[in-house]
Amino acid sequence: MLEVELCGLKLKNPMILASGILGSHISSLNKIAENAGAVVAKSVGVEAREGYKNPVVINYSHGMINAVGLASPGARKFAEELANFSKAAPLIVSLYASKPKEFASLTSYFPMADAFELNLSCPHARNVGLAVGSDPELVKEIVIEVKRATSKPVFAKLSPNVRDVVEIGKAAEEGGADGVVAINTVKGMSIDIFSKKPILSNISGGVSGEAIKPIAVKCVWDLYEELEIPIIGAGGVTTWKDVIEFMLAGATAVQIGSALFYSYRIFYSLKESLIAYTRWTGEKLSELIGAAHRR
Amino acid sequence: MFSVKVEEVIRHTENIATIFFNCRLRSYPGQFIMLNIFGYEEIPLSMSSSNSVTVKAVGETTRALVNIPVGTLVGIKGPMGTPFTPTNGKALLIAGGIGVAPLFYLHDYLVKSGTDVHVLFGARTSEELIWTDRFKNLEIATDDGSAGYHGSVVDLVKEKDLEEFAKIYCCGPEPMLKALYRHFDEMDVLPKVEMSLEKYMRCGIGLCGSCVLDNGLRVCVEGPVFNAAKLDW
Repeated sequence: MLEVELCGLKLKNPMILASGILGSHISSLNKIAENAGAVVAKSVGVEAREGYKNPVVINYSHGMINAVGLASPGARKFAEELANFSKAAPLIVSLYASKPKEFASLTSYFPMADAFELNLSCPHARNVGLAVGSDPELVKEIVIEVKRATSKPVFAKLSPNVRDVVEIGKAAEEGGADGVVAINTVKGMSIDIFSKKPILSNISGGVSGEAIKPIAVKCVWDLYEELEIPIIGAGGVTTWKDVIEFMLAGATAVQIGSALFYSYRIFYSLKESLIAYTRWTGEKLSELIGAAHRR
Repeated sequence: MFSVKVEEVIRHTENIATIFFNCRLRSYPGQFIMLNIFGYEEIPLSMSSSNSVTVKAVGETTRALVNIPVGTLVGIKGPMGTPFTPTNGKALLIAGGIGVAPLFYLHDYLVKSGTDVHVLFGARTSEELIWTDRFKNLEIATDDGSAGYHGSVVDLVKEKDLEEFAKIYCCGPEPMLKALYRHFDEMDVLPKVEMSLEKYMRCGIGLCGSCVLDNGLRVCVEGPVFNAAKLDW
């Protein structure tokens, strides 16, 4: 009842581990893959990258703010880590780069990947992420290059911090993207009132968690109205009801990240709840995709 | 994150100090805090009592912390993580170097609840054996023989009859913990052993994945204290 098909990938349920959360080591990815529909590994670039110094993550009453700075061991080393993936669910490898050719070159390192996600949306790293993902022309060019380099599905992860998320989504679709992921974190910051200083070492970062869910639902809704390709909803999914809400707005699948704060076993818990829900309604989850748009 | 003030600093040696805060944190022995030394970094530190951390200068941030002036504001996230579990029977505490920090807290907690506690404290030299008068029932070991048993704390443990202890608690450098693990595995006592592990952390709240072990568990949430039977060394 929970199965969905996403660009040829068969997901046992529509819940995907979001990039950047517990995705640096194969041991945690394997653990989560036991119950998740798919997992996205932490964004990786060609060269190793240190990331920012601590503090890089804050939790506050409505979610998280992070500025990790795309810390990565580099493509070659990370590919060695991912080589031991259990294949209990599809593996999506998230890529970051500053130029279209660089994005394309990354795909060849990861034969174990079932799909690729393009990080066009990290709000706190220089020259990559949102810096390349806010220009529709560049986004289109990146997707064209990556699609030329690989036959696997390619998803473009979008930022809400652009003039029009649909414009960027359209550009990705025109470039040949198999799907879009909406949304990455929303720019934000926090200041400690006693030390009178910004808390994050990078000063500002990206807000995730329950706080951004309505923003994400609206982005998914708008994208569904204009795009033909599938949408993966992300942003504050914490309960099984959130999964349903995103699917009604038009998401084929959802990504879960910050909610791992509440439980390492959240994919199992939500899966069980969704099974109970589908038993009650008698509807397959795939029937719900975009249902709120039907008049 | 919230801020507290440094109320007192005990400088044990050139490189090791205990920093006391002006408020007690609701916590259990074995838990850690993410301590933000403004202008430097935020680092994970095991608590050495409900209002202190004991730290050794190994880098820029820990050096600044060892030298921190009384009255300085520091940021705290926590206390977090899985603590030690207490026992009614006899307890054996095994400390290596600065790994003694969480065992100070555990020792006081167990003594207060009437537990019979025996401590083995090992270090390279006698200089690194800090604050030994805080322990009631102590045996020490030094690699260079400058104090107590001449040899590693692991060798000292091998001379002990482990049957009499209901629980064994360990904290120290990873090679020491791995050597202890092998010994306890041979003696078939792993389920009564708890080990406090150290790993580089970014978030401290179970999200970033920096501190994940090969068995998939997170040092910051499922740890830092693990039952040894759950480790796959």
